Amino acid sequence: MSTFTRERDVREAYAAHSGELYGFAVRSLGDAGLAEEAVQETFVRAWRAGERFDPEIGSLRTWLFAILRNVVIDLGRARAARPGVAEGGIEPTVEPFEEALAAWQIEEAMRRIGEDHRRVIFETYYRGRPYAEVAAELGVPEGTVKSRVYYGLRALRVVLEEMGYED
Amino acid sequence: MRTESCREWRTSLGAYALGQLPAEERAGLEAHLEGCAECRAEAESLRSLGKLMARADPARIVEPAPRPPAHLRERVETTIGAERASERRSRRRRRFGFALGGFATAAAAAVLALVVFGGGGATPPEQQVAFTNLPKGVEIDATLQPHAFGTEIRMYVGGIRSGTLCRVFLRGDDGRLYPAGSFRYRWGNDAEAILSSALDLSRTRAIGVHAGNRTFVAPVGPGGATASVPQLNEEEPT
Ligand SMILES: [Zn+2]
Repeated sequence: MSTFTRERDVREAYAAHSGELYGFAVRSLGDAGLAEEAVQETFVRAWRAGERFDPEIGSLRTWLFAILRNVVIDLGRARAARPGVAEGGIEPTVEPFEEALAAWQIEEAMRRIGEDHRRVIFETYYRGRPYAEVAAELGVPEGTVKSRVYYGLRALRVVLEEMGYED
Repeated sequence: MRTESCREWRTSLGAYALGQLPAEERAGLEAHLEGCAECRAEAESLRSLGKLMARADPARIVEPAPRPPAHLRERVETTIGAERASERRSRRRRRFGFALGGFATAAAAAVLALVVFGGGGATPPEQQVAFTNLPKGVEIDATLQPHAFGTEIRMYVGGIRSGTLCRVFLRGDDGRLYPAGSFRYRWGNDAEAILSSALDLSRTRAIGVHAGNRTFVAPVGPGGATASVPQLNEEEPT
């Protein structure tokens, strides 16, 4: 298969990537309804441009996220143009797309690693708790917490690679 | 080069990359890193991962990932199905226009005559039937071909709910309905269903399909074979 032109291609792409596209769209747009609109529009645009998809250039996932990027920008513009949004001097803060994508990918990867790994990374890094405290809470030696952090980071790296993260 | 001390230091690399290693341990590890390219590379890789991790919002990590609602898939399929149907329509118009341009008008008229009277030409004449006035996004078309056994029907359906049972029938010049078999529409399957009926094409006046709880009928015959858009009647079969 070299293009994205059959209904079957759409169905397979939807099965493989709709979860990620939707998850990111929710995070980026902050609204489930808008996120649905964005995902639908992404697949429709992909379908229309199907003959231009070339797996030699990049993965389907990368291509779909590039389309979603444009959709999110268009939706953001449409929302900003809607009267009433910017009234009262409150400008909605919009995180730049790449920032949001990087943040979402690490959040998603953290959710995907094993519970033991996630727990120690979350407690020691994101909550800044001392290793001794976390070790006592888990009932394991401190050295175990330390090695779980190491293997947790390695697992995180693998998941990010599987997700197609490119920095 | 990997040594015994690599193994000792390796598991400290995570804490080191995240800036969690106590000072004295860090000094010892850094001394090892200076002499060990392999551990240094790993430390570098984990450190850049640590930079990325800083961008995450911890509150979102503990939230379950939002899942797309089930109806979204259906919406996407319906929208693309509608796009696809209009593509097919314009493709068919182009093809048909080409055929008319390629033959002399008299030749085209002769083909129609063969269809109407079921004559035995060198190539069995096919008849294309387009269902019009369908609900938005739905497309049905059929190609009928005369055979000694009756009529072969190739039917394409698009834009309806996946899994819908479609029962096809022909209506003869006697007004009776002749069942022509059934198929199940599957979204994502681009193939045409191939069916047959014992009714001769020359005696066929209409083709219809019950799809779910709806029935679509299109005329067949002299009127249906012309280039003009055939009239569609939606009716319940008796
Ligand atoms: Zn080493």
